[in-house]
Amino acid sequence: MRARNLSATLRRAVLAVLGLLWLVPTYLILVNAFRPAEDYRPGEALKPSGELGLFANVREVFERTDLAAGLANSLLYSLVSPLLAVLVGALAAYAIVVLRIRYGFAWFMLIFGGTVFPLQMLLVPLFLGYSRMSLYDGRLGMVLVYAAINVPLAALVLRNYFGGIAISIFEAARMDGASTFRIFWRIHLPLSWTALAAVFILEFTFVWNDLLFGLTLTQSETVRPAMTELAALTTDVYAGTPVPIALAAGLVVSLPTVALFLLTQRLFTRGLSLTQI
Amino acid sequence: MTALGKRARARPARGAPAGFRLFGRLRFGYLSPAVIVVAVLLYLPFLWTVYLSMTRYDGLGSPVFTGLDNYAKLLDDPALLTSLRNTLLWVAGTTLLPVGLGLLVAVLSHDLRGGAWLRLPFLLPYALSGAGLGLVWGFILQPDGVANQILTFLGMPGGDASFLADAPGNTFAMIAVWTWQQLGVNMLLFAVGLQSIPRAPIEAARLDGASGWSLFRHVTWPLMRPLTTVVVGLALVASLKTFDIVWVMTQGGPGRNSETLAVTMYRDVFNADQYGYGSAVAVLLTTITGLASYAYLRHQARKETH
Repeated sequence: MRARNLSATLRRAVLAVLGLLWLVPTYLILVNAFRPAEDYRPGEALKPSGELGLFANVREVFERTDLAAGLANSLLYSLVSPLLAVLVGALAAYAIVVLRIRYGFAWFMLIFGGTVFPLQMLLVPLFLGYSRMSLYDGRLGMVLVYAAINVPLAALVLRNYFGGIAISIFEAARMDGASTFRIFWRIHLPLSWTALAAVFILEFTFVWNDLLFGLTLTQSETVRPAMTELAALTTDVYAGTPVPIALAAGLVVSLPTVALFLLTQRLFTRGLSLTQI
Repeated sequence: MTALGKRARARPARGAPAGFRLFGRLRFGYLSPAVIVVAVLLYLPFLWTVYLSMTRYDGLGSPVFTGLDNYAKLLDDPALLTSLRNTLLWVAGTTLLPVGLGLLVAVLSHDLRGGAWLRLPFLLPYALSGAGLGLVWGFILQPDGVANQILTFLGMPGGDASFLADAPGNTFAMIAVWTWQQLGVNMLLFAVGLQSIPRAPIEAARLDGASGWSLFRHVTWPLMRPLTTVVVGLALVASLKTFDIVWVMTQGGPGRNSETLAVTMYRDVFNADQYGYGSAVAVLLTTITGLASYAYLRHQARKETH
């Protein structure tokens, strides 16, 4: 018994030391994002400032950069594309699992196979094709590509999920004269809302954090997502943008995904664990 | 076609109400949006990249077919070899450090009172995106940055290091940053896995006198095997495609010495207008990813049967 208490103490000590080490960068980021921009000295970055500069820094971020437009664009892409993807993926899963389409598994593999290769394979043709079809540097093009990338995951999760819904429900609804689409819309979608929400959140986060397509398929401030704006900021951190303002920008851009995750954490774990039925 | 169509319509009708026949043809309406979107925006570009990788193309005019010339050029391109080395460093670094340390933290904090609090510091960094991560670490690692001050303060060597300037040190520095962020998510996956492994074999081993390291090594670890396969596999595939953090912290430089394959591909295409050559790099990256995943899964499957 004593040996086990000792090992618990030892484990706590190791975790505490490692945890403190992990907190140092977090501390540095927060302290310097909260510091008034003009007070920043590289030599004194470790000491917290007596004054609260965060709000002024955030205001400065929005005045200096196009981050406000970037955030609006990111929000548009992160909401619309996953919604489309979840709907399209759910329809396909419904056709495969519930309507028992012929060669259902082959169709599923075809859809799912769309995400197994690296996204780098898409960049050149999308750039060239979008340029020719005037989709380059447009919001529609961004929504489309993000939706397409996210369809396979939605199809995968909902295929598993719909499989867990008794087929007798479908047959009973048919007997009562409900149309196939009505059954999808009123029975299968509502029954799987935890899975739908979990997939949506995962895909929202993916689109929000994506840098690659923003860099390659957009150019102007009115279309560029926030991550691209943030990346552009780093190239002149040392030249122009004071460190506290750059750090504040980093925090602002991280906020939506953190808030979304904290708000939905429960549902998120539930939605994913249920998909393993 | 007619025979196929007849069978397709006949099948659901078996023992089902007459209404079932009606939606036989409409079913493709549910499937086709997904198939069309995936075919046009994912498969078509994929094939186009494979074709472009066998051409010389600067974005103007039309591609000139050159067969395997680009691939031959890959072999003696020093920038590509550096990039290949860096990519391998990323693979080794990220499958070892964030995964290994994540496992360590998960195991140490498992069944410990207050474990959730001790895990919290590792979860915070996960809030940052790849681009955000690069941005906030830039100021810590710059030559007059905090990292050097801490080293000087502690009287350790390297107080004047420029972490992001020299290869392969800059890749190691970025792997450390990546570890700082990714440990949390790996730890979380392992923590969930530890909670779901069966209690009975562990209790039985405890009664037999096993404890500490030997309990973990011979009982817990084998039970976690399927989960470990997934976590390491995910880290492996993600590390091969490392882009964001490198692009934001060093843009692959200085002098292309911290590029990964994904960065090289981006640079060749969008900075040097070498669409054909860049496509060949993308195909190489895809091939390596495919082969690595295949080899890894095969290796794991073999181990499991033993």
